Amino acid sequence: MARRPEPGRLAQEAAALAGAVRGALGPRGGRALLVRPTGQALLTRDGRCLLEALSLEPPTARMMAACACSHRAATGDGAKTFVLLLAGLLHGLRAAAGGGLRRALRAFEARVLERAVARGLRGHLLSVLAGRRAEAGGLEALLEAYLGGRLGPGERRRLARLCCEYCRRCDPGAAAVPRPRVLRLLGRRFAELHAAVAGLPVESSRVLPGLVLRRDFAAYCPAGGELRAVLVTEPLRPPLSAPGGEFAVGSEGQYGASRRWVERRTEDVMKRLRSGNVKLLLSSVKQEEVVIYYAKLHGVSVVECLSSEEVALVREITGVAPYAPFGDNARGEIADAAAATFCRPLLLGSKRCAHIGFTGLRAFRPHCLLLCGPVDSVNEQHAAALQGAFTMLQQLFKTVDRREECKGEGESQNEASEVCSWHPSAARQQLVIENISCNGDHVSERQLKAHRDETETQIVDPGLQGSENPARVQTDSQIPSNPVSHAKEFSVATEGIGSSGGVQKPHAKGEQPSGVHESCKSDSLVDSQKNYSTAVRAARNANAVTACECLDVGKDLEETSCNIVPCKCEKSCVSIAQNYSSSLIEAGSVLPVGGYFEILLHYYIRYYAKQFQQSEVTFVSNVVADALLSIPKSLYRTTEQNSFTKFYLKAVDALRKNQPLPMNEKGLESVYCKYQLVISVLHCATELLSIDLIIGIKRPLKKIEDYDSEDDF
Amino acid sequence: MSRLEAKKPPLFISEPLTRDTVSQSLSLLSGILKSCYGPAGRLKHLHNGMGGYVCTTSQSSAILSHLSVSHPVLRVLMASVQNHISRFSDCGLFTAILCCSLIENFKSLNVASCTVIKISKHLLSLCMDYLKSEACGCRVSVDFSSVETLLCLVRSILTSKPACMLNKPEVDHLTMLILKAFMFTVPYCVETNAVLGKCVIVPVKGRRVVDSRVLPGLLIETPEIQLAEPLTVKRTCSNMIKIALFSVSMSGDLFNPEEGTIAVHHGISLEMSELNQLLNVGKQLINDEVGLVVCQKVMHPSLKQYLKENHVITVDRAGLSLVEPMSRMTGSKPIASIHSLSPGCYGSLKDVCIESFASKHFVHLIPNDTVVCSMILCNRNETAWDELKRICETAEHVLQLTIKEPLALLGGGCTETHLASYIRHKSYSLSTSSFKEIDCSQTQYQLVADGFCRSLESVACSLNHDDGEVLTDMFYGHCWFVPSGFSSVSNWSDVVSKCGCGINGNTENLKWRLLQGQFGCPIAQGCPKEPSVKVADFLTLDCFAAKCNGLQVALETANLILDLSYVIEDQN
Repeated sequence: MARRPEPGRLAQEAAALAGAVRGALGPRGGRALLVRPTGQALLTRDGRCLLEALSLEPPTARMMAACACSHRAATGDGAKTFVLLLAGLLHGLRAAAGGGLRRALRAFEARVLERAVARGLRGHLLSVLAGRRAEAGGLEALLEAYLGGRLGPGERRRLARLCCEYCRRCDPGAAAVPRPRVLRLLGRRFAELHAAVAGLPVESSRVLPGLVLRRDFAAYCPAGGELRAVLVTEPLRPPLSAPGGEFAVGSEGQYGASRRWVERRTEDVMKRLRSGNVKLLLSSVKQEEVVIYYAKLHGVSVVECLSSEEVALVREITGVAPYAPFGDNARGEIADAAAATFCRPLLLGSKRCAHIGFTGLRAFRPHCLLLCGPVDSVNEQHAAALQGAFTMLQQLFKTVDRREECKGEGESQNEASEVCSWHPSAARQQLVIENISCNGDHVSERQLKAHRDETETQIVDPGLQGSENPARVQTDSQIPSNPVSHAKEFSVATEGIGSSGGVQKPHAKGEQPSGVHESCKSDSLVDSQKNYSTAVRAARNANAVTACECLDVGKDLEETSCNIVPCKCEKSCVSIAQNYSSSLIEAGSVLPVGGYFEILLHYYIRYYAKQFQQSEVTFVSNVVADALLSIPKSLYRTTEQNSFTKFYLKAVDALRKNQPLPMNEKGLESVYCKYQLVISVLHCATELLSIDLIIGIKRPLKKIEDYDSEDDF
Repeated sequence: MSRLEAKKPPLFISEPLTRDTVSQSLSLLSGILKSCYGPAGRLKHLHNGMGGYVCTTSQSSAILSHLSVSHPVLRVLMASVQNHISRFSDCGLFTAILCCSLIENFKSLNVASCTVIKISKHLLSLCMDYLKSEACGCRVSVDFSSVETLLCLVRSILTSKPACMLNKPEVDHLTMLILKAFMFTVPYCVETNAVLGKCVIVPVKGRRVVDSRVLPGLLIETPEIQLAEPLTVKRTCSNMIKIALFSVSMSGDLFNPEEGTIAVHHGISLEMSELNQLLNVGKQLINDEVGLVVCQKVMHPSLKQYLKENHVITVDRAGLSLVEPMSRMTGSKPIASIHSLSPGCYGSLKDVCIESFASKHFVHLIPNDTVVCSMILCNRNETAWDELKRICETAEHVLQLTIKEPLALLGGGCTETHLASYIRHKSYSLSTSSFKEIDCSQTQYQLVADGFCRSLESVACSLNHDDGEVLTDMFYGHCWFVPSGFSSVSNWSDVVSKCGCGINGNTENLKWRLLQGQFGCPIAQGCPKEPSVKVADFLTLDCFAAKCNGLQVALETANLILDLSYVIEDQN
């Protein structure tokens, strides 16, 4: 059962998907009520949930939805926009097909898009991170715009303010936006860091200090002032007979004595806790009644049956290890106890919870976000939106590097004939380095990921390249480029300089191509072969854009600036030497919401496409530029007539006259996310158009990669 | 895997509110709820056609929990109202009727739903600011030093639930009882973190309502105690009774929750060892001068006999629900070990006696400090008793909410009409900058405000179940009901005597406006005034916290439903 996909059919499928999500797009969109087979209702405006709920039949439509969802998982935003843009693009490309189109798409990305961003868009960007144009209230503007696409009109402002307050109180030391380490923690542990109450208005939502554990105290003894808390993961009452063991009773007296011994041991543990000023016992297991009884007698409050996530969170924010009452130092001091300022019951709705004021570790001050809403599904929607917002905010710290060639991944498998050579010595490799240095000191561990990228010589027209950058030195690398050698260079560079100012320095290092050359040559061929296997593996998952982050979890914000290591050393050093900055989009770049990004990109793509001679690239450029406009068109759909046209004409007029754009929106959006979206859509379209045969098979396909990449940060 | 794949495609409905099925089921639900509202509300008889339990009620909590609706949009509405009821117990019907009415009114406007939501949110903030301000003309402050207002509050709750079939003396009796029970639960000496006590409701069915009583302390039902036997209790030197409360089983059974095995040599009886331990405990209890032993679970007969011989009263099978209030009342800590007794675990009681009601015998524990009380609630049959119990719980909850925030709102529809006339007045005097902030035109704002006010007024109108007219006056903005049969009277002042809440009499020359069926309302309307007489007897009052929350929840739920643009239903 095989059939050929037609571009016309692809465009129809994408248009149908776009029709399904369009109603939920943007600040004027509505929400969807998803009803599960169990009857459970879910309110959402999230594109990912909508696409998943549609349970699509056609394989190509499924692929589109999967691409949109994986983009959403990576950046926390943009599943609906993805579908709309893809639909616009496929509609424009429905007439053309074939290998030429694919090459044109790639050439467009490398030559036109990058130039449009570098020369046009860059000039309009604002920044929310501390820097030249730090925006006051940037965080709230970002959040309000983000939540505007996810929540109802009555709730978004309240939630944005609340989320701002939450961020500020969790990370009081941060400047405009919380530090990436805090954002990661919030995003990962938000399920435990918030509590939901149904039946109250959204207005009642608030931020509480400390942590709320959603279960009542098994024993509560009021204690004023500072207190200590220990974590246990095993029953505190020693068993008479261990699992698998046997306890032989020789006489009635012996049995009674053993029972008494067990109780005394339990009481001893409590006495020890009390003498160590421990007033709170957090247990991941259910403790026996006797334990609770002795805890009450000795003034120790107990919360039991904590989930593994809650235990992990408590360990993370307090840094304590579980206490082993019958371990080696059973008689000794209780060293590993967490400090808390209070511990009291809290009535959430009709449920009693344990509210514990942990003081927190390092810069993070634990706070709990109390979400209120008339129904549970509203609270779930709010929680999901806020969790997405934390993912989105993390993207602010990422940058996009400029590079000359781009190629959709996975193509090498489909068109092995087109690839000239598979040997790594003929291919240039791109390198993604994640530099994660922990705890503020410079002991860092590096993870190397090599991203292999083939060159296609027929696209990179030397003539064009010359016209673009006349001073460019064309040094084509014949030697095998070796990721390890670059990594060494880079590590030397960063360690020498320290982490501040890490943006520029590696490139300065790269400006000495001879040094790099030498190191490359000195490396053995065996080394490069070894790396080849990792490179191929990494190429599967790697993002097409060389997004390389150096997420520093140090103290000050400057350290968090991310950077890119130029991998094609010869060419990039030259281009960097000419241009002002290494990255295409800097960390913290934002634009006002409401279609500004799309209109700007549309304008500059048109502008730079005019300089091209190749008709196919010009065609693709026009298609992409028009497809981009479909997003603001949908955003302005429900307002009065012609408002989009008015807005568009005003903006383009201002651009022509080199005037500042008319701004009437307060919200901001991350340019990194938007640029990624365009790139992802281009790749998805290229991939879809590259399929020449759809084969139905009987057996289920084995899943190779992990679908949900959201959690492995 | 292939078997697990979706069999049917999901049902995709866009713009669900424009569908007829939704509007029909919404108006049906709204009709059912409106007919139940208020003291003259009609009762609903819920049964399942297969026999068994039958429920006669007019309360939202009972109706909504038994009603099953098929449409997901309505399920959201019902879930929202039920959540409100679980938090506040009161004003469920108000919330539900207002929500339905808001949806119907807003849906019929030709304004984009996102603009409607923004405007209605602004209107709600106007209402909430007004209700919370000192100038609010539809609220009264509750003075806890006199019982008048509290009695009005409780009486309004009792009379608004007609399914109990209470006559006036019964209402008065129950009102007093509920208030008395609540007063018992307020702690005597107030610290910074005062916690209210508990009122335990003891069911006695088949007796008259006026036989109901409130007693301080707890009642434990004990079928075996003989009435004839005189009760002699051992007292301590300070004339107190020492009580030991066990939460562990004292049956002497071996229970081994551990995973390992226990090997017992021949001729050794572990049960004997356990019983010996229990008797040791008994000996220690006697030495410690304990007068009463209560066990949550079962006690061994030998231990009971042993304690009885030593003049210690034993009560077992008390149940988990009584352990917490008993521990609170007596100051004892529930003992979970039969190996070590700490003297700090014992509590004290003032007295113990035996009471009996309608063939039931109880041990009555009388405490020193009465934060716990028992209410013996009687009614003629099962269904009516259930209804009565719900009312008593509602009233207790309302009093608890009122002590936190000592305010009450005028009932009888007056708060609704007063708020509506306030909003009408306010929406005409709004500055242009506020329209700009909401991003709407003044006409749109007026339209939405009018829909909002009509929804509020329709709640007041649904208090009226006969064909009489409902009026509002142009001075106080209160609600007045015209008895049926006077529809063609030229001067309304001749037929009305008192407004809905009972605070205003028809003394002045008031101007009238019909609430129902009139769309164009007079524009020239001043801000509604506060009633001149502040306190009066027999006012109808509503719980402030519950009604405020109901108003907010109703509007937010209506907005939620108006905002829906798709329903995707998985049909597998």
